[in-house]
Amino acid sequence: MTSPATPQGSATPVAPVPGARARPASRLAVAVVAAILGVLAIGQLRGQAGVPGLSALSSTELTQLIANLNAGNDRLRDEASDLARQEQKLKDAHDRGQTTVGELGSDLSRIRAWAGLTPVTGQGISILITGPIGGDGVEDLLNELRNAGAEAIAVDGVRVVTGTVVAGAPTALSVENHPIAATFEIRAIGSPQILTGTLTRTGGVIAQVTTTYDLAQITVTPIDSMTLPATERDLTLTDATPKL
Amino acid sequence: MSVVVARVRALPSVQVTLAIALLVLGFLVAAQIAGEGPRIRYSTEERSPLIETALNLQSQQESLKGQIVAARGRIGDLEAQDPGAAESLRRLYAELEAARLSAGLVAVTGKGIAFRLEDGTQGVDALVSARDVRTLVEELWLAGAQAIAVNGERVVASTAVLDIGGSILVNSAYVSPPYQVTAIGPADLYDRLRASVGFVQFVQGRVEPAGLRLSVAQLDSVDIPAFAGSVNLRNAAPVESVTP
Repeated sequence: MTSPATPQGSATPVAPVPGARARPASRLAVAVVAAILGVLAIGQLRGQAGVPGLSALSSTELTQLIANLNAGNDRLRDEASDLARQEQKLKDAHDRGQTTVGELGSDLSRIRAWAGLTPVTGQGISILITGPIGGDGVEDLLNELRNAGAEAIAVDGVRVVTGTVVAGAPTALSVENHPIAATFEIRAIGSPQILTGTLTRTGGVIAQVTTTYDLAQITVTPIDSMTLPATERDLTLTDATPKL
Repeated sequence: MSVVVARVRALPSVQVTLAIALLVLGFLVAAQIAGEGPRIRYSTEERSPLIETALNLQSQQESLKGQIVAARGRIGDLEAQDPGAAESLRRLYAELEAARLSAGLVAVTGKGIAFRLEDGTQGVDALVSARDVRTLVEELWLAGAQAIAVNGERVVASTAVLDIGGSILVNSAYVSPPYQVTAIGPADLYDRLRASVGFVQFVQGRVEPAGLRLSVAQLDSVDIPAFAGSVNLRNAAPVESVTP
């Protein structure tokens, strides 16, 4: 036990002096406050470190995020493997002193097709839209198609590329300065099963869009083979230069 | 002044310590509450492994993207060193470089603007959503932007912007608030944007009522990174041009 907090060797009580020993109650109070302080300080530091935003997600949302990250990483791994093979082919050709014109040609063909600079063909889906829908509703559908892995998209026969926006009020839609008819079709190349499933799932994008635009009717049909045109948009960058 | 100092000196040290500790405690509690904002923080035990998994996947994603960008750079170098010196080959290589630039596979720099979009202070509507980010991106395209990135993720033809809880995925990458949308475009890009009915509607109809914070800076130099995702076509095939 500690002794009372009075100066030793004094017969009469005096005013407390700096450095005097505290009473147990005071020390206990300081200890409790210091403990709370420590817990809060650690909590604050942990909260600010490392995982900005993730702490705001529920378990369901984290699971959804993990599924998205897994799918995205699988695509990135495929891309990295393809690039490694391509690089090896080029190295082998160099070692043998051969030209790589074939590799260049196929690389060019793939990138131009992906960017929308050449027509493409393949399986996919048709989305027929009748009734009034705004540009934001169409953009929601396009966003979901991209999320579901669509490799090429066209709206009313106009190829969707980087910078393409479907804009306007219902019945006054346009894409790339091309007015869109009252009934029009979005075509997308990709896995018909995945594209259809993603769009039409309960509570999915079609359900959401038709809640906002309740007079619009949206029908999805798988298609075995279709051809989408190249863009007419000039994708040459005039205001941006490659960063060396 | 000297009276106050004398009184403070007269206080027992334990009281001074307690006072300071309580002051810091009050500050930390206030900081903790202020830090909550409109985004909910969950703290159940089972979420820790999920957060750890998400962080690991994000880390893998960063690594894969780095590998892809590096491999594309090496492939470009190898293609540029092709032993064939024919004019047709040089033209093919120039076409390939132009296609990569148009497709967003090359980092670019130029004059532009940077927007910062932040949550408001109250209610679910005060959270920045994927739709908000998409609207801003669409308005920038319509105003003439040539390259755009959201929190360092290049926006290309295949980019989807999705809500995950109160946060956002861009190109399958998790990005947390505040959201920074950077764009390269013509010198009058911001003037064009401000003159756009769609942008004015976005500011007056969404940003202001929800209390979102939207700030902008016009910059002489904006760097936009290359798209580091997949450009593989699994379902689409280029339609070869028919030569007469």
